Amino acid sequence: MQRVPGRRLFVSVSLLATMVMFGHAPVLGQASGDPIRKIVLISWPQGVNPQAYQASQLIAQNWRQLGLEVEVRSLPWPQHIQTVWNEREKWDTTMWRMVGRPERSDPDEVVFNNYHSTTAATGFNFLGYLNPEYDKVAEEQRQSTDPDKRKALVLQAQRLLDRDQPQMFLVHPTTMKAFNKNVWAEESIVSQSGIGIRNFWTFLRATPKGEQKQMVLNSAEPVVAVSPMYIAGSASSWVTELVWDRLARVGTDGLPQPWAAEKIEFVNPTTVDVTLRAGMNWHDGKPVTIDDVIYSFEAPTMGNKVPMYKSAVADIVKIEKTGDRRARFTLKAPNAAFVTASLAKINLIPKHVWDPIMKDLMTKPENAEALPNPPAIGSGPFKMVRNRGQEEIVLDRFDGHFAAPKMERWVLRIVPNPEATLGMLRRNEINFLSDYGGAPDVLEKLAKDVPQLKVMSEVDIGFEYAAFNLRRAPFNDVNFRRALSFAVDRNVMVQAAWNGYAVAANSHVSPALKFWHDNEITKMRTGLPVARDILDKAGYKVVGGKLSYPAGVKETLKAN
Amino acid sequence: MRFIAARLVHSMFVLLAVVTLMFLMFRLMPGDPMAAYISEALSEESRQSIRAQFGLDRPLWQQYLIYLANICRGELGMSFFLKEPVWDIVMAALPNTLALTFSGLVLAYLFGVVAGAFLAWRRGSLAEGIAIPMVLATRAAPEFWVGMILLSIFAFSLGWFPSGGAASPGAMYANEWQRMVSLDFLHHLVLPVVTLALYLQGLPLLLMRSTMLDVMHEEYVTMARMKGLSTQRIVLNHAARNALLPVATAFTLSLGQLVGGNVVIEMVFSWPGLGRILVQAVSASDYPLAQGAFLLVAFALISMNFVADLFYAVLDPRVSNDRKA
Repeated sequence: MQRVPGRRLFVSVSLLATMVMFGHAPVLGQASGDPIRKIVLISWPQGVNPQAYQASQLIAQNWRQLGLEVEVRSLPWPQHIQTVWNEREKWDTTMWRMVGRPERSDPDEVVFNNYHSTTAATGFNFLGYLNPEYDKVAEEQRQSTDPDKRKALVLQAQRLLDRDQPQMFLVHPTTMKAFNKNVWAEESIVSQSGIGIRNFWTFLRATPKGEQKQMVLNSAEPVVAVSPMYIAGSASSWVTELVWDRLARVGTDGLPQPWAAEKIEFVNPTTVDVTLRAGMNWHDGKPVTIDDVIYSFEAPTMGNKVPMYKSAVADIVKIEKTGDRRARFTLKAPNAAFVTASLAKINLIPKHVWDPIMKDLMTKPENAEALPNPPAIGSGPFKMVRNRGQEEIVLDRFDGHFAAPKMERWVLRIVPNPEATLGMLRRNEINFLSDYGGAPDVLEKLAKDVPQLKVMSEVDIGFEYAAFNLRRAPFNDVNFRRALSFAVDRNVMVQAAWNGYAVAANSHVSPALKFWHDNEITKMRTGLPVARDILDKAGYKVVGGKLSYPAGVKETLKAN
Repeated sequence: MRFIAARLVHSMFVLLAVVTLMFLMFRLMPGDPMAAYISEALSEESRQSIRAQFGLDRPLWQQYLIYLANICRGELGMSFFLKEPVWDIVMAALPNTLALTFSGLVLAYLFGVVAGAFLAWRRGSLAEGIAIPMVLATRAAPEFWVGMILLSIFAFSLGWFPSGGAASPGAMYANEWQRMVSLDFLHHLVLPVVTLALYLQGLPLLLMRSTMLDVMHEEYVTMARMKGLSTQRIVLNHAARNALLPVATAFTLSLGQLVGGNVVIEMVFSWPGLGRILVQAVSASDYPLAQGAFLLVAFALISMNFVADLFYAVLDPRVSNDRKA
């Protein structure tokens, strides 16, 4: 009879100990604040981005184990962007991604644009991260022309974000592309750091091995617009960079190099002299002049008519014509990323074509993004032959170009069915797999079965993350954000959501940018015990199974 | 004449109801349709200006009246998402859609009518025992599954047909007509058409069969047999001809339904038709494009319904005579 109470006591003590260990201790007699309201995690629909959707489900599971009520809400893209971008006070946390683009080979774009306080109201800092210390570092790295000093600043920026966790970086995806070795000489397909083999240089250098001289690529999404003033999705950017030249291009090593410019000389940190190549022509046969170049950089400053490129010219005070082929750019302040973020980004446009269009736009409320398919006259290595965005885009080699491509024709097919895409690749109906959203292991298996296929993968410059809305409690508390972020094991994400085709992330600077990436930063400790420890030390309590604010803190927001 | 006028007025009322429903439906959907059109970087003033330009700042009833007036003038507006006139977008995709759906429908009905008549005639035979479950199976099988099986066999494995698209990469033609009558286009059309026909053949086949079974018990068929006419003549000239009436009605109605394209087949075969554009328009809350495309579908459906009524009246004068009485 005496053993029963003893066993009960033992069980009770064990239960209590277990609950204490895992943070579920009843807090009888302990003060706590309001229970935290339901958290809504906005995600992509499963069909659109299955990996991120799976990741959002795993994140929600982890957060629920901390005592939070979490709803994963999938929204179609227009509603998703409408909520996150235009209703900045109204969401809690969202799945988001930054895709890899050549101009992001310089870390400035993500370091400055995504987290500087000046972009918080309407720009890329939609999460509302306001940190004067970070602002200072972001500004200094932009102005620093000493690579080592700038590197130290970029590393510091990464550490500040690691400390503050305004978002939870998840992974840098591994992009997989493939091509037919029987059609294209292997050595002519080049991989660009952080971008992979689907890049400008491959399209320029790919050398046909036999009769087939046209490259046939695929995109799962239609090409909505082809314009030098507006990039409407990744496929649109592939076309744009081939039709319109730029003064500089980001090379395969991720560093900028002169392109339409014969020379780019820094006279001093705020003065840049540019010399245009001789003998360049537009696709309509007229010569490319230095006036066209100056106009290309002036157009984005006209009203607010070219918002996508406005930031790329924001640092330019004036541009003066200093010769038949020479112009001088004067900058507001030294800008280390100027060549990549401005000269390698602005598309050169013919003034005789665009001046009437811009003048007309100035009389209307719309901006240049409302022009779906303006005249596709550039000076790039390919010229537009057919633009049927729902079906295919056909570009022909521009023989008059100073670096004319080896292939004769570039055809982008819109193929929404990933299985059919692989079937086409197998049968050589497409000879370059430029967009693949299916299971990576299926592609690898196909490459084993079909010897003429070569698959190449590359860690992307871009990243996938869950952004917190720092304007709203409880995300305005750094401890809460750190706990939520470190509750999630990134390696589990890589395996369970991205099937191993990604690398864990805790930084906005991808490991693909070797010079700039902080290798130590992904070595953070993660897991539920780590998260519970942070919450406990910050005064958060679990009451009745629900996580509550620290003592005295009242919930001031209503759930959406 | 009175019958035709009555049917016409009826059709107009249905069209007005559909137009009104579509107008309300898209405006009650969550999400701001202008999110797809207006750049994030535009100032609030510009946003309001664009809203005013599209009439979205006005009360709903005013928007409705503008919408009706525009439809009457044949103006379907500008797509928010693709930023092109809706009419141009729809007309660019329509030839591909019609080529696919009309061919599929004709093939399905040709096969369905002949096979249905044959199976009715051979009722209780081994052929019927095998054919009917097969017909039901293909009718019940999801289109994407049938499409993928056909792709897998005839495109990926045998290589007889291309795996997708409406023409070979980079193929150029002088005009749309040349493209659509080219061997290349027809080669690309085969698998999507067969998939659609397999999906559609169940209805005409079963309809024809059951009507034939009824007709074959009619006295004039017995009379034809007694006269010693050949089986072929009895089936084709007497039974099948009279059994065609409901099949003809089903054909015209299906024709109207299929104008909207078939999004599943278009996705599987990367066919650049209206169905994909419709889905894209709905998911992007692209009112003008979705409304324009649905309006076209509704118009085709109602027109075909009207044609079916007339057709029926011609084939069976009792229909119009009853009305007159």
